[in-house]
Amino acid sequence: MNKSKSIFLYNYSFLSLLNLIKKLIQNKIVPNDIKNYDYQANLFDNTINLKVPEDEKVINDIINHFGVNILNIMFKVFLSNEQYKELIIYYFWLYSIKYKNKVVYMRNLKVVNKALKISKYVGKEAHRLKGFLRFSELENNVLYAEMAPENNIIIFLSMHFKKRLKNEFWIIKDVKRGILSVYNKKDYFFINENEYKLLTKNVSNEEKNIRNLWKTFYKNISINERKNIRCQMNFMPKKYWQYITEMRDDNEENYK
Amino acid sequence: MVIEMELIEKLAILADGAKYDASCSSSGSRRISKNTFGNTSFSGICHSFSSDGRCISLLKILMTNCCMFDCKYCLNRKSNDIKRAIFTPEEVCKITINFYKRNYIEGLFLSSGIIKSPDYTMELMIETIELLRKKYHFGGYIHAKAIPKCSEYLLKKLGFLVDRLSANIELPTDEGLKLLAPNKNSSNVNKIMNYINNNKSKKFVPAGQSTQMIIGATKETDLDVMKKSEFMYNKYKLKRVFYSAYVPVNKDKLLPTIKIPPLTRENRLYQADWLLRFYNFKVEDILDKKNPNFNLLLDPKADWALRNLNEFPKEVNTCSYQDLLKIPGVGIVSAKRIIKSRNLFNITFKDLKKMGIVLKRAKYFLTCNGRYFMDINFFKSSFIEKNLILEDKKNITENIEQLTLFNE
Ligand code: SF4
Repeated sequence: MNKSKSIFLYNYSFLSLLNLIKKLIQNKIVPNDIKNYDYQANLFDNTINLKVPEDEKVINDIINHFGVNILNIMFKVFLSNEQYKELIIYYFWLYSIKYKNKVVYMRNLKVVNKALKISKYVGKEAHRLKGFLRFSELENNVLYAEMAPENNIIIFLSMHFKKRLKNEFWIIKDVKRGILSVYNKKDYFFINENEYKLLTKNVSNEEKNIRNLWKTFYKNISINERKNIRCQMNFMPKKYWQYITEMRDDNEENYK
Repeated sequence: MVIEMELIEKLAILADGAKYDASCSSSGSRRISKNTFGNTSFSGICHSFSSDGRCISLLKILMTNCCMFDCKYCLNRKSNDIKRAIFTPEEVCKITINFYKRNYIEGLFLSSGIIKSPDYTMELMIETIELLRKKYHFGGYIHAKAIPKCSEYLLKKLGFLVDRLSANIELPTDEGLKLLAPNKNSSNVNKIMNYINNNKSKKFVPAGQSTQMIIGATKETDLDVMKKSEFMYNKYKLKRVFYSAYVPVNKDKLLPTIKIPPLTRENRLYQADWLLRFYNFKVEDILDKKNPNFNLLLDPKADWALRNLNEFPKEVNTCSYQDLLKIPGVGIVSAKRIIKSRNLFNITFKDLKKMGIVLKRAKYFLTCNGRYFMDINFFKSSFIEKNLILEDKKNITENIEQLTLFNE
């Protein structure tokens, strides 16, 4: 007998996912998969939309029962590119019920190990991009940066630059996902690229000079006798170079 | 006579003169600051990597490359016929602020040749950093090099402005200094380290001090180097000692005639330094008068383990944390994981892999539930050595700095 797969749907957000999982666990339902509304169902799928209300209480539930560390891991897995991330969170939650905050030491369990690995990978990319992100100064004094990370880490960068560049207007764009983070010297908000138009992409008068100064510094700080390109690429993978000022030619620059 | 020079040319010259300092770290500061432009990150952030594979975190420059001294190994020494330049304080601020704003850097690393006098040089640096902190409200990371023989009140003033203040010991032995840097002596550097150590606080040099030694410019042994490091770590509570493989930039009959910097040796020293600071090793565990230099083919921990095979194997399910740390292929993070996990379940070889243990190295030195990873007949020291060396060769070209990124 060929049973159809039951796939539960949630409304894109982390909160919606958590509420759905909570409901599933409460009702002892084991899903075949959990997907957001974009999911293209095929013939044998049985998609189910429970329309669980998005209640913020679930956040506190997790913190109180398992600790904030577990919530962080779930959140990072959620922001990853992993195909079955929702299901991984579901099972990670189940194990958290059993082992509480000690679940992070249960690497012998496949799902737990996987969740920890993904969460670490997402955190690592966020940390890397805190360094690799490059702002350009636009003619209206706004600092503007583009990036194309593997994982959806714009929130970590936004928190970071809210503290670091708190008296500047800045905008970070995730080109891969079409999301912008716009900071107005008080707070940042996320907005879809279709709903927001930059006033200008022209850079300030000084921008070219500063970029040249930086490229000069970059060239001169390297010791030729120690040349080690492999090492350089290990630390700064090529996939990021397109958006790193010193790794591009001037005529490649997409906003001039 | 000073001729007006383009800022870009100055920057090229004064970055070139600063690049031989190995220090790159921007971490460890919890400075409390009211400054509104920029902050520091406790774990440090690498912003780029140059083509030599080293991390770029700070704008590493000299105030000036003019110098009244003539240290034989140094590009900036008096007797070299090179272009000289000096930044104005405003110029340094302009570059720092503009680089920081664009997220090119984590902050400033300011060092200098000695111009006119140690105090004059220090005052110039202080003026610059004061401008940066007070006029531009810069709250990012600043590491300054103290100039030996400067007055104490200047050290004090500078220490309150920066995150890290440090002085370079330059060479591992006093004889080496006498030979190659006759204007310097270690007691002046010790004085600075002592002063900083005695006055360190949340507001004074909050990220602590570091130092660097050039390796391979004189005839020192690894034992000399590590003894010196151990001494400085203990006495002055240094955060880091940086080892900088000697790069031949000058010709001089007192200098060794090498073409390639001793990078593998530098790597071994960093690994040993790591063992001292985090693995509770003592210098005499890994080096002695009979073996005063590291095995270039094997990392110091594996080398030590092979010479002490009688201490192994360790049983991962019962041995102490300290013993776990002694196993080649087991790091601090994985040792902690083992300790936490084995209270919850019995650890098998399969689990070790998941916990990040490098089994290729570790398998000779541990058991799981009393069983070896493979047939006991393989456990001859010559066999292990051959295999570990093969493993090591693959890693040798990679820089140890990888390890230093996230921990300090
Ligand atoms: S004092 Fe410093 S800058 Fe001057 S020659 Fe010696 S090492 Fe070079």
